[in-house]
Amino acid sequence: MIAPSANAALIEAKDLVRTYEVRQGMFGKATPVRAVDGINLTVMPGETLGVVGESGSGKSTLGRMLLGIDSPQEGETFFDGKPMPKLGTPEWRALRARMQLVYQDPLAALDRRLTVAEQIGEPLAIHKLVPKEHRAIRVAELMVSVGLRPDQADRYPHELSGGQRQRVVIARALASRPKLLVCDEPVSALDVSIQAQVVNMLRDLQEKNGIAMVFISHDLKVVRNMADRVAVMYLGRIVEEASSDVIFAAPLHPYTKALVSSVPVPGKPLKGRTILQGEPPNPANRPSGCAFHPRCPLATDICRTSVPHLRQVADGRTAACHLLAGADQPVAA
Amino acid sequence: MISDNLVELHGLTVAFDGVKVLHGIDLTVRRGEAIGLVGESGCGKSVTWLAALGLLPGKATVAGSVRVDGQEILGGPRTVLESVRGKRIAMIFQDPSSSLNPVICIGRQITEALVIHRALTGKAAKAEALRLMDMVGIPDARRRFDLFPHEFSGGQCQRLMIAMALAGEPDLLVADEPTTALDATIQAQILDLLIELRKETGMATIFISHDLGAVSQVCERACVMYAGRIVEQGTIAALFDNPRHPYTRGLFDAIPRLDGPRERLIPIPGTVPHPRDLPEGCAFSPRCSHAAADCRSGRPNLSAMDDGRLLSCFHPVGHPAGLMQAAESRIQEAVS
Ligand SMILES: Nc1ncnc2c1ncn2[C@@H]1O[C@H](COP(=O)(O)OP(=O)(O)OP(=O)(O)O)[C@@H](O)[C@H]1O
Ligand SMILES: Nc1ncnc2c1ncn2[C@@H]1O[C@H](COP(=O)(O)OP(=O)(O)OP(=O)(O)O)[C@@H](O)[C@H]1O
Ligand code: SF4
Ligand SMILES: [Mg+2]
Ligand SMILES: [Mg+2]
Repeated sequence: MIAPSANAALIEAKDLVRTYEVRQGMFGKATPVRAVDGINLTVMPGETLGVVGESGSGKSTLGRMLLGIDSPQEGETFFDGKPMPKLGTPEWRALRARMQLVYQDPLAALDRRLTVAEQIGEPLAIHKLVPKEHRAIRVAELMVSVGLRPDQADRYPHELSGGQRQRVVIARALASRPKLLVCDEPVSALDVSIQAQVVNMLRDLQEKNGIAMVFISHDLKVVRNMADRVAVMYLGRIVEEASSDVIFAAPLHPYTKALVSSVPVPGKPLKGRTILQGEPPNPANRPSGCAFHPRCPLATDICRTSVPHLRQVADGRTAACHLLAGADQPVAA
Repeated sequence: MISDNLVELHGLTVAFDGVKVLHGIDLTVRRGEAIGLVGESGCGKSVTWLAALGLLPGKATVAGSVRVDGQEILGGPRTVLESVRGKRIAMIFQDPSSSLNPVICIGRQITEALVIHRALTGKAAKAEALRLMDMVGIPDARRRFDLFPHEFSGGQCQRLMIAMALAGEPDLLVADEPTTALDATIQAQILDLLIELRKETGMATIFISHDLGAVSQVCERACVMYAGRIVEQGTIAALFDNPRHPYTRGLFDAIPRLDGPRERLIPIPGTVPHPRDLPEGCAFSPRCSHAAADCRSGRPNLSAMDDGRLLSCFHPVGHPAGLMQAAESRIQEAVS
């Protein structure tokens, strides 16, 4: 949902590139891997952008760069119209309270020696957000807002279930009243029953507080439920972006099509669906042309030689595929 | 005379350090059929088959009966169990890292399984190993025979584990969450492989999964487990179109949809109880929207319904048997 007053992006990424040196084997020589390879995106205040794609496609790397935890080698990120300050600087630390990260493994994110109340209160103390005497009240409010019971305040992380731990992590992330939440696979480790509890809670919190969210997940069903817009990544690049309602109902890029088709739907048989052949590509050995061409059922000669760029293919939709109409005409500005 | 029943579990119970986690599982696997096992984490899906195959650590107390072709294997001599495990019944484990040895090349690992289970040696073993690698869809098997596990992708490692499981030409393959760690597109490939292999070899399959969608594609029948018991069992059509246990219904309702309007999700409130403090009566009662006073005092038995399913609930949801036919023909129409 886009807040009516805002027509400026909360976060904007321009041509982000992040390369890692990856060693093949213990003594192999290091080869550069472009984990994120030229990504542009914007997130409006209060909006949720879903990011999907295969393991290794660069989702987490992108998420970290949006928060300035990882720095791009090329390109730039803007938060509230201003360039992202350098990691570790006082400016960055001040901004950090406005943007928070929630990731997959809540146990790793929590300090096992601190109680639930202490974990949630920690950012309030670090960022000096709430005077000491009011902290307990704020912590109690936060616990209620994520659906934790007051009697759980004195529990330790190992005494909680996975879903409850993730609630603690989220409550802590919300403590500093952030404007942006990057959620990296926040419900992937949870049972569907519990996943639904946490997804509903996140949606409620977002509606109430107008937080913008980047929601990273490999579960298309969850992403469809959370996101307003969805970006599909393949080998470090966005290959398709559209509103969450149309992208799953009518995917355009062959990779998105395969992805949507691979989701097992209860009661629907596997036959008749497109099962993508071949292995996920090795990022250290990026295929020429369209990186998807070795697995693409529709690939032609041009796909093997020339890189398709992300272009507007319909109203509010972009895709990077040579075969999509509109791809050979420049985007009308 | 060979009976239709391949494996029969009767009253299988498991306790760890005196805490019961499995409370009497009865399950019959017929030759060639595929059965799904679903339920939230900790409900006893893995423990059921680890116990049946004698693979639990020493601190586990296992009781009940496990028969393979009528022969009891639980508590019998080790030789009986060993003749079954890997040969008659093979298991693919939930934790993939535990199954492939990282320092032995793939070809040798598969050949060793062939030596143990089928007494193949030398050229014959190598030829059969290559055939199995082909069969599970490893491209260029001959050239990759001497590679180590880390030189294969996650999806290929899963295929190789399936190849190892097939080495003994088992009558039953137990696949414990075989696709959970894989990407969606690779997951679809592995499901397809399991379906094809079963068609080719006629082996029965137990498919353990969190994903009801995946189960519906691989299996004809499914058991829903809760807190160490089977609470509903029936054909996929019966369970999917007309779940009767409130827990089964809850599991379906919680799945977000990829089509249709975007609606608020319907979670199951609360969490699975710890085996140490199970609630009185029906173990699901604290989370159940249908629970009445009787649910909190007595425990419903798993009993047969008119439509052939097994159900353990005092106040089922959905339609009783009669209305099922109409529903089933609706499914048929939708699928064809
Ligand atoms: N710190 C790092 N050092 C070296 N390489 C890295 C590092 N972090 C990520 N990579 C590489 O960058 C690529 C993208 O990784 P990333 O973790 O962003 O992918 P992802 O889409 O989040 O995958 P997953 O779904 O498995 O979480 C991968 O090839 C990965 O191996
Ligand atoms: N080695 C063990 N020692 C003690 N308790 C165990 C052991 N293995 C399993 N349990 C307990 O037995 C119960 C059933 O576990 P099981 O692994 O069968 O669950 P599951 O249904 O397979 O769950 P998941 O979906 O997480 O794999 C759980 O309460 C678990 O904590
Ligand atoms: S027996 Fe009662 S509590 Fe248990 S599932 Fe049925 S209605 Fe719910
Ligand atoms: Mg990641
Ligand atoms: Mg398990």
